[in-house]
Amino acid sequence: MIHYPAIVVIAPLVGALTAGILSFVEERYAYPAALIATGISCAAAVRDLIYVAGHGPIAYHMGGWAPPMGIEYRIDTLNAMVLVLITAIAFLNLAASRPNIKQEMPDRRPSFYAMYLLFVVGLTGVASTGDLFNLYVLIEITSLSSYTMIALGDRDRGPISALNYVFVGVIGASFYLLGVGYIYIKTGTLNMAEFATMIPTLQDSTTILTAFILCLVGVFIKMALFPLHVWLPNAYSYAPVGFARIVAPLMTKVMVYVMVRLMITVFGLDYIFIKLHIADTLVWLGTIAILAGGVMALAQTNLKKMLAYIIVCEIGYMVGGAWLGNNLGLTGAVLHILNDGLMTFALFLAVGNMVYKLDRVQIKDLKGLFAKMPWTMTGFVLAAFSIVGVPPTCGFFSKWYLILGAFKAGAWHFAAALIMSSLICAVLFFKVFEVCFFESPDTHVGHGSDTHGRHTTVAIQEAPAISLAVLGIAGISLIVVGMYSKTIVVRLIWPLLRS
Amino acid sequence: MKLLSLIVVCLTGGLLLYGTADLPDWGDPNTPASLHLSKYYIENAIRDTEVPNLVTAVLADYRSIDTMLETAVVFCAGLACFMLLRDFTPKKDHYYRHVPSGVILHVKNPDRQIIAGNEFEDMDKEWLPPDTIIKTVCRMLIPFIQIYALYVVAHGDFSPGGGFQGGVILGSSFILLAISYNLKYLLKRVSEKFLGILSAAGVLVYMGIGLAAMVLGGNFLDYEKYAPIFGEHHIRALGMLGVEIGVGMSVTAVMVIIYINIVSEGKHDEGL
Repeated sequence: MIHYPAIVVIAPLVGALTAGILSFVEERYAYPAALIATGISCAAAVRDLIYVAGHGPIAYHMGGWAPPMGIEYRIDTLNAMVLVLITAIAFLNLAASRPNIKQEMPDRRPSFYAMYLLFVVGLTGVASTGDLFNLYVLIEITSLSSYTMIALGDRDRGPISALNYVFVGVIGASFYLLGVGYIYIKTGTLNMAEFATMIPTLQDSTTILTAFILCLVGVFIKMALFPLHVWLPNAYSYAPVGFARIVAPLMTKVMVYVMVRLMITVFGLDYIFIKLHIADTLVWLGTIAILAGGVMALAQTNLKKMLAYIIVCEIGYMVGGAWLGNNLGLTGAVLHILNDGLMTFALFLAVGNMVYKLDRVQIKDLKGLFAKMPWTMTGFVLAAFSIVGVPPTCGFFSKWYLILGAFKAGAWHFAAALIMSSLICAVLFFKVFEVCFFESPDTHVGHGSDTHGRHTTVAIQEAPAISLAVLGIAGISLIVVGMYSKTIVVRLIWPLLRS
Repeated sequence: MKLLSLIVVCLTGGLLLYGTADLPDWGDPNTPASLHLSKYYIENAIRDTEVPNLVTAVLADYRSIDTMLETAVVFCAGLACFMLLRDFTPKKDHYYRHVPSGVILHVKNPDRQIIAGNEFEDMDKEWLPPDTIIKTVCRMLIPFIQIYALYVVAHGDFSPGGGFQGGVILGSSFILLAISYNLKYLLKRVSEKFLGILSAAGVLVYMGIGLAAMVLGGNFLDYEKYAPIFGEHHIRALGMLGVEIGVGMSVTAVMVIIYINIVSEGKHDEGL
């Protein structure tokens, strides 16, 4: 009996509850408990991945009940990969963000760890469940914990951006739930695999079509696809650093995973590409999201906001790529879930380090940062290269598959948008590098940031060693994943698409 | 913008109407929803689980992981209220009541505090003397409400009820105590620390039952695996009772946590 699929989700939940209790009893043990819980979860996820790559999918029956009656957690190569990404980032971020959390919320740190772990429970659960309603419950946990965390961020604007997020997020979740309701009334089942066996006989049903559209719109709201993205930039840039570093790389990517899961496993590629004619529209939506995200990112003066708009842009890559309707596009989209998670994590790690020292990250405040924080900036440059798509960083390879897919599908507009966005990202990041490298900080600095006075400029003022070490790991993983992307595609993604 | 919203609403409504075109008829017994899973549950739940209440059997056994995660959602809500609203800043002004004479002292200097003892009583600005009639009536009612709540928790697997409902009733009895006396009185009886631990412990009880089943060689939450310890008889009902108690603990604590933090804006002062 293999229990790893359950342990991945349960370990953080045990950790969350233990941290919750410890926050009232013995505060200083809350952090080790959280670290151990994410560590166990990560180890179990790696074990899952190794098993699945060798032996094929695992189906874990919760409560010992076989699927249509009970709830099944089903791990195949796709979600094993996503689970490793989630748990690894959760573990590393917890190690890296301890100084930031201490700095930002001295009085409610232990409960922060409990909430953080609940968020991880939600994400890992969403990635491993094989039941449509269970997915909704887990989305609820994820959302509730992220609303709270975002409200705890920036003192003035955190609560209001969290409130906006609550309104939009609840609407998104309700759309998804309504879709699940339609599915249930038409089929009587909530199990993804069983629903997939029924879909060939229900192809002409308008109810199923409505259900599909409702689920898709719900997921689009949650992943912040362009016209539905309004909640994202404020929410992510005003969140506390320790949380922004996990929510920014993972939340939207996990929702992209849900979309891919709905496409591949639940509704099936035959239904969505042959029966329905919406693929072109969605590729256009992806194209628009890429361009709009890029243009809006250009207009930002705050580094965090700029990165948030880059996330909106990257969502366009994955949605457009997945809906191109060929294996190459879908491969690119799935690979980009992994790569974009890592790239965004590295970027936010670097930005978090800057926030730790500078407090404000308006782009004009970053003058002379290469001299002051050389290691942080090295990591930032590496992640930026990956976003732009410079080989051998991993961002290049997923973009390569996406562009090949676009050519094969004849979606020239999408290919053009991909190349355009690389250029826009290059402009964006070189604008930042220019300020950080060439402009000396002795010109007048506004609004009392940390860089007042000449004597602070030359001395190296780096973030804590643990944050830098994690940034180093993230940076190296960008290159390693890039170099092994062929293996990842052949071993993990293609077997999935072929079946 | 209003026009745009109207268009979106109309489109969504149109989509929902379009979706209903293919729906089964109202009350039709031959729909997939009533022929597939619910048919299985109705026919086999009692044989499988030995629990007469089918709803509980589905919630706490067939789909028990859902219910566990819902309890985690409840815990998350309580934690969210605590984190967002709890105000740890110390009070600037202090009020004391001289018990024998009823005179109230207002001390503005935070360094000078009167040690509350028999003579002086620590109090807050919003304090109002509780009404004797309300106090007496509630004091008599609360034990009955609590007994009823425990009954609802314990009978979840036999009759309508269960951890969520019982927990809400139990929690509301504490809230009634806070309303009829005052918040400080409630917090003297059940401390914030106790509530915080209880809210997490409830979910831990649920998970503990699941994890122990795992240790005994089954899947997570497979109550059947307790048979060697507790005997075959009604083993699943027993497992369900256990998890219902866990749910009840969490829900009770979270109800009270949400109430005390919202009503006093996180300050835990006297008053309502």
